[in-house]
Amino acid sequence: MIKVEDLNVRFGQKEILKDINVEIEHSKWTCLVGPNGAGKTTFLKALLGSQSYSGSITDSGAEVYGNHNRNVAFVPQHPQIPIGMSVSEYVMLGRSKRDGWGNESKKSRTLVADILKLTGLFGMLNQFVSQLSGGEMQRALIARALVQEPTLILLDEPTSALDLHHQIAVLNNIELLKERGVTIVSTMHDITLAAMYAEKIVVMQEGKVLLSGTSDFVIHSPELQVAFENRISVFTLDSGRPVIVAKKDLSN
Amino acid sequence: MKKLSSEGVISPIWNWKITAVSFSLLIFVGFLAISFGPVPLEFQKIIRTLCGLPGGLTGQERTLLIDLRLPRALLAAIVGAALATSGAVYQTVFRNPLADPYLLGAAAGAGLGATIAITSAGADLYSLLPIFSFFGAILAVLVSFFISGKFFAEPNSLLLSGIAVGSFATAVQTYLQQRNSSSLRPVYSWILGELTVANWEKVTWSSIYIFIALTILITVSKQLDGLMLTDEEAYSLGINPNRLRVIAVIAATLATATAVSASGLIGFVGIVVPHLVRGITHRVTNRGLLTIALVGASFLVLADLGARTLLSPAELPIGVITAFVGAPFFLVVLRKKRLVAK
Repeated sequence: MIKVEDLNVRFGQKEILKDINVEIEHSKWTCLVGPNGAGKTTFLKALLGSQSYSGSITDSGAEVYGNHNRNVAFVPQHPQIPIGMSVSEYVMLGRSKRDGWGNESKKSRTLVADILKLTGLFGMLNQFVSQLSGGEMQRALIARALVQEPTLILLDEPTSALDLHHQIAVLNNIELLKERGVTIVSTMHDITLAAMYAEKIVVMQEGKVLLSGTSDFVIHSPELQVAFENRISVFTLDSGRPVIVAKKDLSN
Repeated sequence: MKKLSSEGVISPIWNWKITAVSFSLLIFVGFLAISFGPVPLEFQKIIRTLCGLPGGLTGQERTLLIDLRLPRALLAAIVGAALATSGAVYQTVFRNPLADPYLLGAAAGAGLGATIAITSAGADLYSLLPIFSFFGAILAVLVSFFISGKFFAEPNSLLLSGIAVGSFATAVQTYLQQRNSSSLRPVYSWILGELTVANWEKVTWSSIYIFIALTILITVSKQLDGLMLTDEEAYSLGINPNRLRVIAVIAATLATATAVSASGLIGFVGIVVPHLVRGITHRVTNRGLLTIALVGASFLVLADLGARTLLSPAELPIGVITAFVGAPFFLVVLRKKRLVAK
């Protein structure tokens, strides 16, 4: 269990996260949703342990800030593309913490080959990451997270800028991690997809948590409308699956 | 680049051949440098002398080899390795392929420090020059950081402030030179870059500082790959990115400062060599850094050979040779990048 208690993050005078209290269950997929500027990315960085904060975030009882003993994978929304690095080298970076930087055990080399096959990148293992398309790059990021064999993976908008086909492919890859017992925390702007994949949704607005709970509970709660200023409509398909769409009329 | 072996395992192939070729090149160029000159020395006799075997060089020829050409070639190699490696490291840390020891104000700061040492204490204090240069360089880099106000967040604003600080340091340096006209000549010839006054004492102290700096940089070279990612990714892969940047910048600045104080301002090595090696290894981090050090050493030994022999018996300042080769090379790289961008 990851326990977040009275979490506050400030950048100078600006409060980015305010009094956040949330519990994140291990081996489950938790999705952070909310409008731009709600503090979702900063929350992910705090969970990673790279962002200083006041309050407490504990993962299995240990404070996370600056704690390098955890094995947490991070998939950014806008990755820096390294120059002159092949896809296999890029994915191999995921083993750096286990093998030591620049070292590659035989186990790691086998694992990377397997994961490249799994994510459909095997054919381009010698290609430079700078030559990958947006969808391929996202798969390379997921592949790197997979070989990291993390206990927790944090994904910042993993499906943004991808077409629907690639969105589903990437989300299915992330699901592979969950099947391996990995705890997943992601931000996602598409609430329909969030409801489809995540077990728990945390709704954020202006640095605060408006509500959190099971996907079904959150999707149908009035607070979700409040978070998005009544600009969304929730429909339920015959299959029972909820679909959230933006309202065309913004005057509401 | 990795290849795939038959068992479906990614083979751990780093192209060590490139490093081995670079090392062989350095040895070859080194022998060229010590055998060529106004007085040519016989190759076999050089080997016999260096190995302490009978039948080697004697008299003036031996002195020429041991006391003049050998320390000079070694100093050129050490300085070349230092400038090329620190250029590659600055380019990685500041995520800017055009960053080099000169753009951050480090070299100009080192120059100012060394000028202060020469004008106030005389050129005799060679062993103190790196200390003065180092503090000059560190001060210039710190001021650049302070002015840019963003530390590593916005590398380009840091580079711009580095250029301003570098210009300021150069202006102060010029003022000091003019005020101390008696030391104008040594300072001026030092600014142009020179290896003519190379001796074993200079080789010893500069190699100590540069060895320390390069050992640190080669040790962290594999982790430098992490600085090509976002800070969060680097952190999740076990790196403390800001600490790594500080270590890398301090070590690269020490290498630059020592190189500048040993041989004056020799431009373009920090840009030309990393770009040259990148064209072959595609990367300047990881094991590529060792290759860059070796190629940088060869490049400057060769440039010094040119400086000694092109107008023989007169000498050209080595900075002129590196600029003569480096500036067109730099323009070709820029042009190529623009064409690729289009």
